[in-house]
Amino acid sequence: MELSEYVQKGFQMLADPGSFDSNTFTLLLRAAFQSLLDAQADEAVLDHPDLKHIDPVVLKHCHAAAATYILEAGKQRADKSTLSTYLEDCKFDSERIELFWTEYQNNRNSLEILLGSIGRSLPHITDVSWRLEYQIKTNQLDKMYRPAYLVTLNVENTDSRSHPEISFSCNMEQLQDLVGKLKDASKSLERATQL
Amino acid sequence: MLLDLSEEHKEHLAFLPKVDSAVVAEFGRIAVEFLRRGSNPKIYEGAARKLSVSSDTVQHGVEGLIYLLTESSKLMISELDFQDSVFVLGFPEELNKLLLQLYLDNRKEIRTILSELAPDLPSYHSLEWRLDVQLASRSLRQQIKPSVTIKLHLNQNGDHNTHVLQTDPATLLHLVQQLEQALEEMKTNHCRRVVRNIK
Repeated sequence: MELSEYVQKGFQMLADPGSFDSNTFTLLLRAAFQSLLDAQADEAVLDHPDLKHIDPVVLKHCHAAAATYILEAGKQRADKSTLSTYLEDCKFDSERIELFWTEYQNNRNSLEILLGSIGRSLPHITDVSWRLEYQIKTNQLDKMYRPAYLVTLNVENTDSRSHPEISFSCNMEQLQDLVGKLKDASKSLERATQL
Repeated sequence: MLLDLSEEHKEHLAFLPKVDSAVVAEFGRIAVEFLRRGSNPKIYEGAARKLSVSSDTVQHGVEGLIYLLTESSKLMISELDFQDSVFVLGFPEELNKLLLQLYLDNRKEIRTILSELAPDLPSYHSLEWRLDVQLASRSLRQQIKPSVTIKLHLNQNGDHNTHVLQTDPATLLHLVQQLEQALEEMKTNHCRRVVRNIK
């Protein structure tokens, strides 16, 4: 994991018991996680009364450093030894390393879910609705008498803002073909998960 | 059900008994070809010259035949009804037989052509699928994220569209379940009753 000097300096400040006692250290760490993981979080996350006595510039530096490191660790799926190595290099004592690791473990799942959801992908099918109708006539053709299906796929794009729908009609044979192919796909999925 | 032929239509068709049956058969062939591919006015001129009549007369004759065939096919009238409808034109028996044969031979194809004129929604053509597992992304390494990539082929108005889509295993199972229910619907008593009784 390569991190900048800025991050390293921030952590060195965090390591110093003179600047941050155990309580404020934990508070800052939690604030960093909260900023990343809580969708509602804003600048007020650092407004805790116990953090007021610390120089705001230092506070922001350390907060940014911690957040950067957390993201990088999450991305690389860092284990305890990788974390410990880096924190030791920043002059963290073992108590602080344990505190960091505990907070990291507590938030790990949410962090990985968040990171996993970032990125581009193909339009994603979220649901399907269908309609069965019996066609009787058109203005060009009488006595049709055949069933038909109208299928609508609900699709979500990665930007989450557009929800286009894909609709198409099909007769019974075509729907059977469609269902057959989807069943093949799901059977193949089942087999793959048993390997 | 009998065909209701207008006076104008009867006038146009009145040309047919004036030529021999080979010509009527040829007109019939032209009529169906025009339904398949669209009309071609040059053919009228050629025929008009050969028969020593005006090109308008030939055109009316062929168009009258086209209308006769499409209306009969649209309504899906029975042999008997067709014969009775044509009877009022006072044609010779041989011509009536020819027209009936023309109707029966081409009815199915004409109905297919007419069905293409209906309001058109994209319709299903085929589907391809592929199983994928995402292993890593720029923002997260060491993932195991299964997904199914689907290429849906649709037709609309002769154009072929494809949609490339993705879904996760849980949604795939949900899709299969929902669409199987849709297929099952046709077998229910309600649907069977409707199909039996609306004819």
